[in-house]
Amino acid sequence: MTSLQKAPDRFDARLRLFVYRQLLRRQESPTVSEMAKAFACGQKKILASLERLSESHAFMMQESGELWRAAPFSCIPTPFPVKVGKRSWFGNCIWDALGIPAMLGKDARIDAACGCCNLAMPIEIKSGNIHSGSGVIHIAVPARDWYKDVAFT
Amino acid sequence: MLLFRSEQHIKRWCRQWKRPRGGTLTLAQGWKLAQLWYGDRLDPQWRSKTVTEAESVFRRVGLVGQFWKLST
Repeated sequence: MTSLQKAPDRFDARLRLFVYRQLLRRQESPTVSEMAKAFACGQKKILASLERLSESHAFMMQESGELWRAAPFSCIPTPFPVKVGKRSWFGNCIWDALGIPAMLGKDARIDAACGCCNLAMPIEIKSGNIHSGSGVIHIAVPARDWYKDVAFT
Repeated sequence: MLLFRSEQHIKRWCRQWKRPRGGTLTLAQGWKLAQLWYGDRLDPQWRSKTVTEAESVFRRVGLVGQFWKLST
């Protein structure tokens, strides 16, 4: 969490919101090429901005430069599908899956499963509360080491 | 961060992955954490939390102790 407190520059802030709006509308993240087209700029500028946005780990990029994570959303499928109305997304982990209805202030169904035995453990969020669901959340890595291996964390 | 049926399933997972037991939270704590962490994410003025702010969120959810400390 090196640059947590740094205010993002204006371009980065606009790009960040653009990514979220696209994710919400299309249920998938925009590609670097689509971002460059939308901002009428080169891909190099987009990639530099995404790198800055990734410093706090809220965004994370794949080796190709495309987004892997725009927290709480995963830009690739995961075992944490979240359905809000007729739309659906993926969370990166159970915290992020809960983060999607928290971020949107919407009712949701999270089709989670036990990390050990894969038994279905659906969770329903209604009117800002957990309507149904059970279980214990486990985080394997101490907070200060979360970003050393995000995929495992 | 994974969801498990019970403490027993966490223990089994840790054994299978050869990992020490980490931190746990109830589903209610997880939901509160998600609300405090992600509730402002669509704010155009959003910025990531400082270490102090992040630790304050953990405390509000009842997540205290060395495991939840970000500062060295």
